[in-house]
Amino acid sequence: MAIFESSAKMKKIFGEIWTDMVNNTDFGKELKEAGITIAFVVNDPDVVMYVDENGPIFDEEAEKKTPVVTMKMAGDTVHSFWLKKLNVPKALALRQIKAKGPVNKVLKILPLLKSGQEKYPSYCKNHSLPMD
Amino acid sequence: MDYFDVNLDLSDEDLALKEAANKFAKEVMRPVAKELDQMTPNEAIGENSPLWSFFRQAYELGYHKILLPDFVGGLALNPLQMNIVMEELAWGSFGLACQIAVVSFPALGAMYSNDEELIEKVTIPFCECTDGSIRGCWGATEPDRGSDLLAMGEPIYHDPKVRCNCTAKREGDEWIINGQKAAWVSGGTISTHCMLHVQTEPSKGMAGFGACLVPMDLPGVTKGKPLDKMGQRDLNQGELFFDDVRIPANYMFVDPDFHEGIMEMLLTNANVWMASWATGLARAAFEEAFSYCKERVQGGRLLMEHYSIKQRIFNMFARVETSRAIARAAANLNFNISPGFPEYSMTAKITATENCLLNAHDAIQLLGGNGLTKEYLAEKLYRDARASLIEDGNNEVLARHGGHTLFEHYPRNRDDI
Repeated sequence: MAIFESSAKMKKIFGEIWTDMVNNTDFGKELKEAGITIAFVVNDPDVVMYVDENGPIFDEEAEKKTPVVTMKMAGDTVHSFWLKKLNVPKALALRQIKAKGPVNKVLKILPLLKSGQEKYPSYCKNHSLPMD
Repeated sequence: MDYFDVNLDLSDEDLALKEAANKFAKEVMRPVAKELDQMTPNEAIGENSPLWSFFRQAYELGYHKILLPDFVGGLALNPLQMNIVMEELAWGSFGLACQIAVVSFPALGAMYSNDEELIEKVTIPFCECTDGSIRGCWGATEPDRGSDLLAMGEPIYHDPKVRCNCTAKREGDEWIINGQKAAWVSGGTISTHCMLHVQTEPSKGMAGFGACLVPMDLPGVTKGKPLDKMGQRDLNQGELFFDDVRIPANYMFVDPDFHEGIMEMLLTNANVWMASWATGLARAAFEEAFSYCKERVQGGRLLMEHYSIKQRIFNMFARVETSRAIARAAANLNFNISPGFPEYSMTAKITATENCLLNAHDAIQLLGGNGLTKEYLAEKLYRDARASLIEDGNNEVLARHGGHTLFEHYPRNRDDI
């Protein structure tokens, strides 16, 4: 069974995380300076997230955007990544993550997400998501 | 000699990078490569070798970190810029262009490990190095396992009867490495760090490999003598030996679960670089022949006025343009998707290396007897080009793997990205 029981739950959680990162950390500024916009195309549950320095947008609105980097992965893979339990190179090698966009930019995203990863366990507690 | 770039959208930055790399290739790499080519392998890495001056100047300009992104201190070149710079450097010397790229492999591996300790200990210091004192090597092939290591997808790759020459066993918080790597380890005998592929699960055969970082000053590491070769004599290569070498557990950053996938990714990237370097050599050969044909008189007229010479020169030009186009296309594809599509990189590598050998061959033929002498560049280009058809995957083995990939994935689907 998928970690995120519905698209709505995933959008709620990541809407909060991305918004918090943009409003309360240097994430938005760093994203802008790096010239990066990201789309996450998630399956199980199906969600499309687009994030730039202004914060997140979802689904149909997100699909209209042209991101610099697109990352495709399952919802469970998203969860592992934010818990810092995912070996990203391994996930790429095993095609658990597929990335489109300049490799330099893809690699640059990872350290920018640290502040969100630090806070993610508290979101898991609040939304009763497993962390094992 | 400059060339017209059919890409009319090159930016000022692209053009500046090209000009700077060409200047370095012309003023530093060609003279150093010529000296190294005429030395014994031991002299080439001796105290008074011009190799060290090359490293210092290359590191000062940052060419050692062209494969690395900016967040660890790398140059962060885009795929087109990487191709442009690599072609120029290989125009100066294929061997030295390869050398200055391979020094970064341990730093690159550490960065991909996603392990902050390894990035801090290996990648960042390497990028900050400006004197050439931190140099990596790539320990992949073994005395009994050359192109076999690229046999992904073949039954032999998973055969537990296949014993490898370099193994590692886990003991507590450490891995213990024993065995040896082939004489073809690029940068091997002058390295401070190694990105080492080593068998960790013999029951899985060659699929039981891991990849790790090995500081070369650890007890039990021994370097063999530098290899004496026909071509690319300016690229240091040599054996490595490991006798109960202990590394911390986290230095093994690739385990067998995904080593095969990592090898595929490495091959996909390395073949694109090889195609760029081969384009540089093909162009150097073309230019040597082109200039000679404008000056040399035979049969009462300049060579360039002979009908058959015009044809041959055009064919050499066409090979350069074809190689550049296909190298850039593969770079643009495979440095914009992860993981990449290896069949396109292999197409570029095989085509460009075969083209560079043909051009080097034609350059000698057009220069006649002069082409056979060490007074002219053509003979070195020919020897260097010959090596490229075996380097980073023997072309026949790459084609076999390419065919295997096609039967699994052709035609690719945009949804695969």
